[in-house]
Amino acid sequence: MHLEFICNGKKVSVDVPADMRALDLIRDVMGLTGTKEGCARGECGACTIIVNGKAVNSCLMYAVKLKGKEVFTIEGLSEESGKLHPLQEAFLEEGAVQCGFCTPGMIMSAKALLDRNPRPNEEEIEEAISGNICRCTGYAKIVKAVTRAGLGNNHG
Amino acid sequence: MGNVKLSSMGKRVRKIDGVELVTGRAKFAGDMKFPGMLYGYARRAGVPAGIIKKRDVRTALKIPEVAMVLLAEDIPGPNIIGILPPFDQPLLAAEEIRYEGESIALVVAKTKTAAKEGALAIEVEIDPLEPILEPDEALKKGARKIHPAGNITYSKKLIKGDIDKGFKEAELVVENTYHTSFQEHAYLEPEAVCAVPCGDGRVTVYASCQSPFHLRGHIAANLSVPASRVRVVQAYTGGSFGGKDDVAAEIGSLAAVASVKLGLPVMIAHEREESIKGSNLRHASRIHYKTGARRDGTIVACKIEIILDGGAYSSESPFVTMKSLIHAAGPYRIPNILVECTSVYTNKTYCGAFRGFGVPQVTFASESQMDELASRLKMDPLKLRRKNALKPGDATATGQVFERSVGLLQTIDKIEERRKSSDLPRDREDDRWLYGRGFSCMLQGISNGAEGIDVVGASVQVSQDGSVLLGVGLTDMGQGSRTVFAQVAAEVLGVTVDRVTVRQVDTDSVHDSGPTVASRSTTVGGMAVFKAAAEVKKSLQKMASLMFKAGEEQVSFKNNFASLKQDDSARIPLREVAAAAYWSGFPLMNLAFSRAPDADFDHETHQGDIYIAYNFGTHMMDIRIDRFTGRVQVLQHIASHDLGRVINLTGVEGQVEGGSLIGFGFAHMEKIESEGGSITNANFADYAVPTVKDRIPTETICVEDYNPTGAFGAKGIGEPPVAGAASAFANAVAAATGVRFTKLPITKEDILKAGGKHGRYSH
Repeated sequence: MHLEFICNGKKVSVDVPADMRALDLIRDVMGLTGTKEGCARGECGACTIIVNGKAVNSCLMYAVKLKGKEVFTIEGLSEESGKLHPLQEAFLEEGAVQCGFCTPGMIMSAKALLDRNPRPNEEEIEEAISGNICRCTGYAKIVKAVTRAGLGNNHG
Repeated sequence: MGNVKLSSMGKRVRKIDGVELVTGRAKFAGDMKFPGMLYGYARRAGVPAGIIKKRDVRTALKIPEVAMVLLAEDIPGPNIIGILPPFDQPLLAAEEIRYEGESIALVVAKTKTAAKEGALAIEVEIDPLEPILEPDEALKKGARKIHPAGNITYSKKLIKGDIDKGFKEAELVVENTYHTSFQEHAYLEPEAVCAVPCGDGRVTVYASCQSPFHLRGHIAANLSVPASRVRVVQAYTGGSFGGKDDVAAEIGSLAAVASVKLGLPVMIAHEREESIKGSNLRHASRIHYKTGARRDGTIVACKIEIILDGGAYSSESPFVTMKSLIHAAGPYRIPNILVECTSVYTNKTYCGAFRGFGVPQVTFASESQMDELASRLKMDPLKLRRKNALKPGDATATGQVFERSVGLLQTIDKIEERRKSSDLPRDREDDRWLYGRGFSCMLQGISNGAEGIDVVGASVQVSQDGSVLLGVGLTDMGQGSRTVFAQVAAEVLGVTVDRVTVRQVDTDSVHDSGPTVASRSTTVGGMAVFKAAAEVKKSLQKMASLMFKAGEEQVSFKNNFASLKQDDSARIPLREVAAAAYWSGFPLMNLAFSRAPDADFDHETHQGDIYIAYNFGTHMMDIRIDRFTGRVQVLQHIASHDLGRVINLTGVEGQVEGGSLIGFGFAHMEKIESEGGSITNANFADYAVPTVKDRIPTETICVEDYNPTGAFGAKGIGEPPVAGAASAFANAVAAATGVRFTKLPITKEDILKAGGKHGRYSH
C-alpha cells in the first residue's frame, strides 16, 4: 500500500505491506533505529513515537495508519546543527540516562507532554511516562530531567 | 596515590557516551544492518522435561525464505555452552530436554517472520518426563537425575570457629526459615547479536553482552576454530545486570556457526518472552537461619542452611553458592559460623548471575534475623547492628582482616543522624495508614576474589593533538564505567574529560579482562587505566621538562596544559608537548595490567582472604501501608554506602537509585509465576517491573573510607544497593504491621491477607 506522511519535518512517500507495523517501517525501511523494540506488546514504551502530537507505541500501530500524519521520532529532536533539544540536555545533565535503551521512547513521551503542557507538575510527568519502563535509573532522575526541561519553558 | 590533588574526582560528570544515547544514534546490536543479512530464530522445547524422539526439519526448509536449519549435529565444535565447570549446557539439545526454553534448532531465513515460521514448522516429538520442579523433590533419594552426576550442582560449607561451642555460649537463640523468589533481569534491550563473516577466515560478532571474552571462547569452541579467528565487539548494551552472559554465548555461537556456514551475516534478536524464559534468572532460595546471642546483644554463633534453586543448568551457580556462603552472616563480627549452601538442579529456567549475586537473598535472611533478635532482646535494631558491626581489624566471616576501608560504622552513624532528624510520622497513624521504619546493614565483596584470577587490561594512547584514546577490557552496559575510566585517565594526564574517548570493548584490541562482574570495574579496571595513563604521562613529563628546561618533578599537567609548579603562568598546551614527544620518539601508548592480589583461600572451609575490599552499607526505609488495600508507599529511603571514594557523583547516585529499585522490586513486586514448569508471566503486563509510579525516593549518602586497592581509593557500588533496599523494606513492613513476613516478595496481596486473617491491622 502506498502512503505519504511527514516524518521529522520531511515528506515520506513509501509503499508498505498492509500488515507492516509502524515500528518496522521506521526502523527497517527508513533506517531510523533510534526507536527501539523492547516487548512488541505495547508494555515497555521503548518504541514510543509522536503521531499528530500524541505519544504512541509504534509496535502496536500499523504503518498504513501513519498516512497523512505528522510523525516525530527521536532523530527529529535535535537540530541539524547538532544542538540538542532541552529534554536531551536535561537528561544528560540530570544523569537520567544509563543504558539508554529506554531513553528515546522516554524522551518522546516527555516531549509529547511538554508540547501540550510546557510546565508539568510531578504527577503529570508520572502519568505521561508511566508506560515507559526503565530498569536502570530508578526513575527519579528521569522525573527531575523532565521537570528541568519544563522549567526552561519560560514562555510556555 | 592518596595524596594526589584531585580536580575532577567526586564531581558530577555527564556520561561521555550520553549524546549518542539521547539522540538515538547509538547502535545497539539489533540496530545493525549488513548486506545480505539473515535472521535466526530458535525452536524451543516448550516442555520442561523429556526425551527428544524426532526432529524433522523438512517442512521448515520448504519455506522459500528459509536458508538453513541448524541442529545439534551441525555444530562443528562440542555443542556446549556454560560459564563454569561442569559446562553442562548444550547449545542445541539433541537428547534430553531439561527446561522449557531449551533450544532444539535454529532456523535462519531472509526475514524474522519467516525464521519464526520455520521454527514453528519443525516437527519435534518429545517423550515427556515428569518434571522435577522443587529442590526438595530433586534432593529426594532415588529422584530422577536431571544430569548424569545427580541433582546437586554445587554444595559447600563455610566453617569459622566452633559452632557448638558458640551456641553453648548463647543465652538466647532466634531461628527462622526464609524464602525468596526467582527474579528476571528485565533489561529493556532483549539479547541480540549479529555475526558477520569477514572473508579473511575470521568472523566478527557484534553483541549485546557483558563478557566479550567469554563469548569469544564459546564461539571459537563451537566453531571449532582457534580463538584468534573470532572477534567479538561489544555493541551498545541496553542493560545486563548479570544477565547477558550465558545467553549471549548461546546466541553468539549459533549466529556465528550459521553465518560461517552460509557466508552471510546472521542476526539473532530475542523477543521479550524468549528473553525471560530462555535466559538466566536470579536463584530462588530457602534459607534456614539460627542466631545465638548474649543478653547484651553480642552475637556469638550463626548457623545457616541455604538451598538455591538453580534450574536446569549450572551457569554461575557454583560462584553464587560461594558468594551466598561468604555473605550469609552479614557484616558482623561473629566468632562461630557454620553455613552450608547447596545449589540444586530443577527442570526450570536456569539461574545465574543477577546484580547482587546471592547477596540479596542471604541479606534478607540475615537482616530479618537481626530485627527478630533485637525484638527478643528488646533492643533498638540499629543499636544491635552497631554493637556487632565489623570494624577495621575485625575478622569477617571468612576470617579476612581489613585494616582499612571498613566504613560500616560510619554508614550507621549517617543513618543514625537521619533517624534523629526525621521522626517517623507515627502520630499521623490513622484508620487508613500504618507506618513503619526498617533498617538493614550489608556488605558486598568487590572483585572476583577466590572465584578466579582477577585481571584487567587497559590501553592508553595519547595522540599528537593531546587527546586520549582509552581501551579497557570491561564492558559498559549502561552503568557508566566508560565515564569513570575517562575520569581516571583525565585525572592522571591532566586533561579535561571531553578530550578522552573510551572505545567499546573489542576483543582484538584489549587484553582478556575476564567478565564484567562483581562490582569490580571501577576498582580493578580503574586501577589498570591509572597504571597505563601513568606510564604515558612519564613521556609527557620528560618532554615537558625538556621544553621548560626544568626538572621533571617541576612539571604538572592540568586542564590540557603542562605548567611549572612554581609558576602556573609558565605553561605549554598539552598538544604541543604530545607532538614534541612523538617527534622525539617517546612512547605515547601503554598497555597496563591490573591484577588483584591472589586470594589465599581454603575452598573447603571458605576461610581466608578472598576479596580486595568490601562495600559496606546501611539503609533506612520509611513506609506506610494502606490497611484496606495493602498498598505500600515508601516515604523515605536513605542508602548510606562506604564506597571508598566517589569518582562520579551522578554515576554513584544512578547506581544506588537504580539498584535500590531493583531491590524494591525483588522485595515487593516481582515474581516469576509458573505452572507445571512453564513460566506463565513471561511479559511485562504480567511480570511486574516497577514503573515510574512505583519508584522510591532514594537518597544516597556516600561514606568515603579510602580503599588502598582501588583507583583513587574507590570501591564498586553496582551491586550493593539491591540487598540493602530489599532488606530494609522487609523490616519496614514488619515494623508497620507487626507481622514478620519470611518470604520475598512481600506483595500487597500478602500484606492484605495477613492483616485480614489475624485482624492485626485493625484498630
